[in-house]
Amino acid sequence: MTDVNKLQSDLDYISSALREDATAGGIPALYFLWGALIAIGFSLPDFAPQLAGFYWLVAGFGGGLFSWWLGARQSRRHGINNPKLARRYGLHWSLMGAAFLLCFLPLLLGRVSPEMGGANFLLVTGIGYGLAGVHLERPLLWCGLLMLAAYGVLITLMPPYTWTITGATVGLALFWAGFSRRAALRTAGGEA
Amino acid sequence: MKALAALDALFEHRIRLGACVLLAKHGELTFARLKAQLQATDGNLGAQLRKLEEQGYLSSRKDFVERKPTTWYQLSDAGRAALEAHMAALRALIDASGTGV
Repeated sequence: MTDVNKLQSDLDYISSALREDATAGGIPALYFLWGALIAIGFSLPDFAPQLAGFYWLVAGFGGGLFSWWLGARQSRRHGINNPKLARRYGLHWSLMGAAFLLCFLPLLLGRVSPEMGGANFLLVTGIGYGLAGVHLERPLLWCGLLMLAAYGVLITLMPPYTWTITGATVGLALFWAGFSRRAALRTAGGEA
Repeated sequence: MKALAALDALFEHRIRLGACVLLAKHGELTFARLKAQLQATDGNLGAQLRKLEEQGYLSSRKDFVERKPTTWYQLSDAGRAALEAHMAALRALIDASGTGV
C-alpha cells in the first residue's frame, strides 16, 4: 500500500470511529420521565389547581436532580466523562428552568389569562426543546417543532382545557422521542 | 516537504491517532470504550496507549464503575498540543496535494 493510500485508510478508520458515537441522542428513561411529569403537571391547573404549585416544586427540582444523576450514571456506564458537554447540558436546562419561572410571573401578576399563561409555557418549552434538538439531542428537535405547532393551534383556536392539551402534547412528543431513541439504540446495538 | 517533517511519528499508528482524536473530542474515556470505538484488541490497544502514556501524551487513572475496576484515559496538555500540530501538518499535506475538499 502506498503512503497516500495508508493515510487515506487511516483517516477513514478514524472518521468511522468518531461516527460510532454512543453519546449522540439521549436517555430514553429521561424522555419517558419528563413526558409523564409534564403531562401530569400541566393537567393539574385544569383539574386540581391547588396542587399545581406544590407538584412543580417537587417534580421540577426532584426531576432535575434525578435527571442529572441518571445522566452522570449513564455516562460512567458508557465509559465517557465529558465535562464540557455536561456543562452545556447544565447551562441549557438551567436557562430553561429560569425561563419557566419567568413564565409564572405574568400569571402571578395577573397580566395574562390562565389560558394564555399555559400557551406561553408551550412556546417556551417548544423553543427550549427545539434548541436542545439543534445543539444537544436531535430527537428533541422534532419534539420542539411539534410543541411550537401546538402553540400555534392553541393561540388560533383557544380550545378549552388548554393546560391539559399543552401537557398532553408535550408528554406525547417526549414519549415519541423516547421510543425513537430506544429503537435507534436497539438498532445500533444489533449492528454492533 | 515541510509538512511531512512536521508529522508526529507517534501518530503514524492509526490506533494511537484514533485514541487521541477520541479523547480530544470526549474528554475522558475508559479502556473498554476506546476498545469498542476503535475496534481494537485488548493487547494492541494496551500497547499503543502505553506508548502514548510513556511519551506524556496521555494520563490514566483507576476507578470502579459498578464495582468493576476501570481505567480512564485523558489527553495531557502535551498530547493535545502534539495532536493539534499533527493535524495542522496533515491539513497542510492535503492542501499541498491539491486534492483537499
